[in-house]
Amino acid sequence: MKKNQIKFAFLLPAVVWVLAFTIFPLIYSVRLSFFSYRLGRGETFVGGRNFVQAFTYPRFWGSLQTTFSIVLVAVGIEILLGLLFAWHFNREVQGDKVFRTLITLPLFATPVAVGYLGITLFYETSGPINMILSLFNIHVPWLSHPFWAKVSVILLDVWIWTPFCFLVFLAGFHTISEEIYEAAYMDTNSELQIFRHITLPLLLPVMGIVIALRLVEAFKVFDVPYSLLLGGPGTSTEVYPLLVYRTALKNFDFGSASALSLILLAIVMCIVIIFFRQLRKVYE
Amino acid sequence: MRKPKPLQKVRRYLITALILAIFCFPLYWAIINSIKTPLDTFAGSWIPFLQFKPTVANWTEELGNWETRRALSNSAIVSVCSTGIVLCIGTLAAFSLASFKFHKMKNQDITIWFLSQRVMPPVVFIVPFFMLMRSLKLIDTLYALILINVTFTLPFAVIIMQESFRGIPTELTDAALVDGASYGQIFYKIALPLASGGLIAVGIICLAMVWNEFIFALSLSYDQATLMPVLIAGAEHTRGVQFWYVAVRVLLTISLPMIIALFVQRYLVRGLTLGAVKG
Amino acid sequence: MRKVTIGIAVLLIVGLAATMAWGYTFTPQQKELFLKAGMTPERQAYVKTKPYKGITITVAVNTAGREGPIAGPLYMFGELWGEQTGGKVKVVEIPYAECFEKFWIDCLTGTGKYDSVMAGAFWVGQLVEDNYIIPIDKFMKDPRFPQWDTATCSPALKTLRTWGEEWYAVPNDCDGQILYYRKDILNNPDYKKGFWEKYGYEMPVPPSTWDELKDIAEYFNGWDWDNDGKVDYGISMHLKVGGQGMFHFESMSAPYLISPVNSNLWWFDPETMKPLITSPGHVEALKTLVALRDCGPRAALSWSLGEAWDCFLRGDAVFCFTWGDLGSLAQDETKSVVRGKLGCSALPGTFKSYDPASGKWITFKRPNVVGNTTGGSWAGVISAFSKHPEATYDFLSFMATKEANFWNACTGWTGVDPGRTFVFIEPYGPAKVESYVASDWNAEDANEYTIGFYKNFYSSLMYPYMRIPGTVEYDTALDVHLSEAVTGTCSPEEALQRTYDEWERTTERLGRDEQIKLYQKAIGYTK
Repeated sequence: MKKNQIKFAFLLPAVVWVLAFTIFPLIYSVRLSFFSYRLGRGETFVGGRNFVQAFTYPRFWGSLQTTFSIVLVAVGIEILLGLLFAWHFNREVQGDKVFRTLITLPLFATPVAVGYLGITLFYETSGPINMILSLFNIHVPWLSHPFWAKVSVILLDVWIWTPFCFLVFLAGFHTISEEIYEAAYMDTNSELQIFRHITLPLLLPVMGIVIALRLVEAFKVFDVPYSLLLGGPGTSTEVYPLLVYRTALKNFDFGSASALSLILLAIVMCIVIIFFRQLRKVYE
Repeated sequence: MRKPKPLQKVRRYLITALILAIFCFPLYWAIINSIKTPLDTFAGSWIPFLQFKPTVANWTEELGNWETRRALSNSAIVSVCSTGIVLCIGTLAAFSLASFKFHKMKNQDITIWFLSQRVMPPVVFIVPFFMLMRSLKLIDTLYALILINVTFTLPFAVIIMQESFRGIPTELTDAALVDGASYGQIFYKIALPLASGGLIAVGIICLAMVWNEFIFALSLSYDQATLMPVLIAGAEHTRGVQFWYVAVRVLLTISLPMIIALFVQRYLVRGLTLGAVKG
Repeated sequence: MRKVTIGIAVLLIVGLAATMAWGYTFTPQQKELFLKAGMTPERQAYVKTKPYKGITITVAVNTAGREGPIAGPLYMFGELWGEQTGGKVKVVEIPYAECFEKFWIDCLTGTGKYDSVMAGAFWVGQLVEDNYIIPIDKFMKDPRFPQWDTATCSPALKTLRTWGEEWYAVPNDCDGQILYYRKDILNNPDYKKGFWEKYGYEMPVPPSTWDELKDIAEYFNGWDWDNDGKVDYGISMHLKVGGQGMFHFESMSAPYLISPVNSNLWWFDPETMKPLITSPGHVEALKTLVALRDCGPRAALSWSLGEAWDCFLRGDAVFCFTWGDLGSLAQDETKSVVRGKLGCSALPGTFKSYDPASGKWITFKRPNVVGNTTGGSWAGVISAFSKHPEATYDFLSFMATKEANFWNACTGWTGVDPGRTFVFIEPYGPAKVESYVASDWNAEDANEYTIGFYKNFYSSLMYPYMRIPGTVEYDTALDVHLSEAVTGTCSPEEALQRTYDEWERTTERLGRDEQIKLYQKAIGYTK
C-alpha cells in the first residue's frame, strides 16, 4: 500500500466512529429542537418555541446560576488546595510516593458512589461531620438548607478533584529547575517571596490548562448533585445537566431538552474557543 | 535544595497525616457503614467492636443478590469491551497522526478536533442517543453502552497514544522501512512494543472512565443492562436511602477503579491533562 | 498493595460463595391457608392441570428487596403461586424514581419485557390512554379466576382501580394517609395542664383541625417529654426532593379546598385547565405546612419517608401523618418504642375552606374533614404487550385473595396497607381483633389503626385523586417548589406561583384540549 493510503486507512476508523456517533446525533438534536415531540404520538413543528420557552423558564436561569456558582467556587478551592499541597510536597521526602498514590484515589472514585457516600457523611442528626462539629457546639444543616446543600456538593467535588490539581501542579513544580531556586535563595530567605515571585509566575501556563480543563469538566457535573440531593432542596443544587436530564427522560419533553442541550453546547464551545487557543500552542 | 530542620520535618509529617486523614475518611466511613446493622447506621457510631458489633450480613446479602452480581459482570463486560475497541482503533489513529504528515488538515488540527470531542458535555447527547438506540432496538443492551463509551473515550486514547508514539526515535522506523518492512509491520512490531507502557496506562484509565460513567448508563438501561453506578442509585427506594446497602455497593463500585489507579501513577498527569502537561 | 488486592479478591470470593436466597418464608400453615384461599370447584379443576407450566411472568416493581415493601410479597407469593399453578414469577426491581418511565419505555418500544407492573394509581390514566395496559373485566367474570370480589373494595378504592367503566388493576395495596399520634403523651395530665396554661384552651385529643395540631406540635417541640435524655419534637415530616413530600401536602391541604360545596376542585379549573394551585386555600395550606416545619426537626427537610418514620418510631415525635405502613411498623419492638401507645385518626380538618368556583371562603361550625386515597395504592396492571395475560392476571389475583391480602395488610414490612372491607375490625367490618393479635399486633393499636383508616376511606368528602396523563410531571413540579417554600428559598405564594407556571407549561405541551377532556372525565365533571 502507498504511504498516503495507509495513513488514511489507519486514521479513518477512529474519525468515522467519532463522527458517526457525535455529528449525526447532533444534527438530529438540532432538528428535534424545532419540534414538539411526544414519544409514541409523533411530532409537530413549532419553530423556535422551544428556545423561547427555555429562555423564559426560571429554572433555566436558576440552573445556569447554580452551575456557575458551584463550578467557580469549587474550581477556586481545588486550585488553591492543589497549589498548597503541591508546595508542601515539592521536596523529596520519605513516604512521598505513598502519599501521592493514596491521594490520587478519590480521582478514580465513581462519582455517583461519592454522592451517596456524601449522604451518609453529611447526614444531619448522626452523620460524622456534624458529630465532630457538635463538639464545638456547631450544627450545620448540610442537606436541608439551600446554601449548605450547595456547600456539600462543592465539598464533594473538591474531594474528587483536588488530587487532580495537586498532581498537575506537582508536575509543574518539577519542571522548574533547581538553579533558579538556588539563585533566588541568594537574595532572600523568605519562602513566601520566592513562591510569589518565582514559583507562581512559572506555574501560570500549567494553571491555565488546569482551569480550562476543570471548567469544561464542570459542565459535565451531574452525578454528584443527582445522587446527593436530586437537585434539592428546592432547586438549589439543580445543575444544568440535571435540568436537561429531567426534561428529557423524566418529562420526555425531547424538543425542549434538545434546545437546552444545544444552548449548553454553545456555552461550552465559547469557553473552549477562548481557552483552547492557548492550549493549541501546547500541542504544536 | 536546603535540608529542612527536624522541627520542620515533624510539622510536615503532621500536616501530611492530617491531609491524608481528611481525604481517606470518607472511605473509612463507607467501610464501617457497610458492616453496621440498620439501627447502628442511624446511631452514628464510629469504631467497630467498641461501639457496635460489626456484621457481614450486608455484604453477604448484597453479593448474594443476583442483581448485584449481574451489575458487576455487566460493568466488567462493558468496561473491558469498550477499552479493547478503543485501544484497537485509537492506537491506529494515533500512530497515523504521530508518524505521517497530513496536509489539507494539519495534524494538530485533527488532534484538537479529537480534543473537542472529549470536551463535549455528555448530557447533550442523551436525547439523540436515546432516540438512536430506540430505533436500533438497542435500549437496555450492553451493545448500546459499549458503543457510546467507545465514542467518548476514543479521543482521549488517540491524544495520549499519539504522545507515546512521538517518543519513538524516527531512526528506528526509517531503518525498518529501508529493510523493506511495511507500515503494518512497523506499527505492530516496533511502535506498539515500544509504546507498551503508554498503552497499558491508557487502557487502565479508559477502563476506569467507562466503569465510572453514569449518565448514559442511567438513561439507556433499565433492567438487563444495569451497571454498577446505576445499581447504587437503585438502593434508594420508596422509603428512602438504605445506608447499609449503599455503603456495600459504593465500596464494590469504587474499589475496582481505585485499585487500578495504583498502577498508573506514572502516566496519570499526562493522561488527566489530555497530554497538555508532561508529568 | 498486593495485600489489598488479595484482601479484596478474598472478600469478593467469599461474597460470591454466599449465594443464598434471603428473606421471609411462610410457615406451612400459612402456605396451606393461602393455597386454599378463594378456591372453587372450577378453579380446583383448573389448577390441577398446572396450566402455566413452563411460563414465566415478569413483574416490575419499585426497588425494595426481598424483605422490602410491595416487592417482598411478590417473591413469596410468586413461589407459592408456582406451587399451585406450575408457573414462575420473575420479579424485576426498578428504582422508584425510574419505575414509571422504565415500564412506559418498555411498552413504547413494544418490547413486552414486563408482563405486569406494580403500578401507582396515578400512572393509570396515562397507561390506559396510551393503550399500554389492558382492562381485566373479562378475567374477572371468568369462573377460573374466582379469587377476589369487587365488593371488598370501598368505593374510594374502586375509583382508583378503574378508568372509565373498566377495571384495570387487581387490588393489592390501599394507600391513604392518616394521623398518628402518641396517645400516652397527649393524655398525660401534666402536659394537658401545661398546654392549657400556654394556649388557653383544652388540648383536644386527637386534634380536629390543622391549627390545633400546629399548637400541640409547637407545644411539644424542642424538649424532652418522654424522659429519655434526648430532645424530642412535635411532628415528624419529610420533605426531600424526590421523597414524595408533595403527597403529604396534597392530603393535608385537602380540607382547605374540598368541602360540601366543592367536592372535587383541587387541581385545575375543569373548563380552562388553569391550575388552582395559587388559590388562597392552597396558600393557606402551604403556610400551615411551613409553620409545621418549625414544630419538628430541621433535618426533616432532607429526609425521605424512612427517616421520618424512624423518628416517630424511636419515640422522638408526637405526630406523624402518613400512610398505613407506620402503624404496622410500630408493632416491631426491635425498631419501635411506640407499640401500644399509638393513637390514630383521620387527618385533621379546617374551620374554613376556600371555594374556587365562587372565589369565597366558607366557614364551618364543625371541622371540615376530608378523606384521601393519596399515594400509589400499588397494584398490578397487565401490560398490553404481555404474552401471558391470563397467567399474569391469575398471579395478581392469587395475591388479592382475602387471606393473602389480610396477611399482607397486617404485616408491616410488606408495605401493603389495609383498605379492603375485610380488614376492618367489628363493628366497622367483619375482622376480629384476635386475628390482628395473632399476627403480633397490640390489640389497642389494631383497633385505633383500623378505625382511623375506616374513617378516612369512608369519609363523605374525598380528596380528588389525580390520574390523568402528566400527573407524575405535575406532582414532581409541586414537589420541587414545595421544597423551595419550606426551605425558605421563596415565599409560599411565590412557590405556588412557580408551580402554576410549570403546570401551565406541562398542560400546554400535552395539549390543553385533550387534557381538559381527560380531566373532566376523571373528576366526572359535567356542565
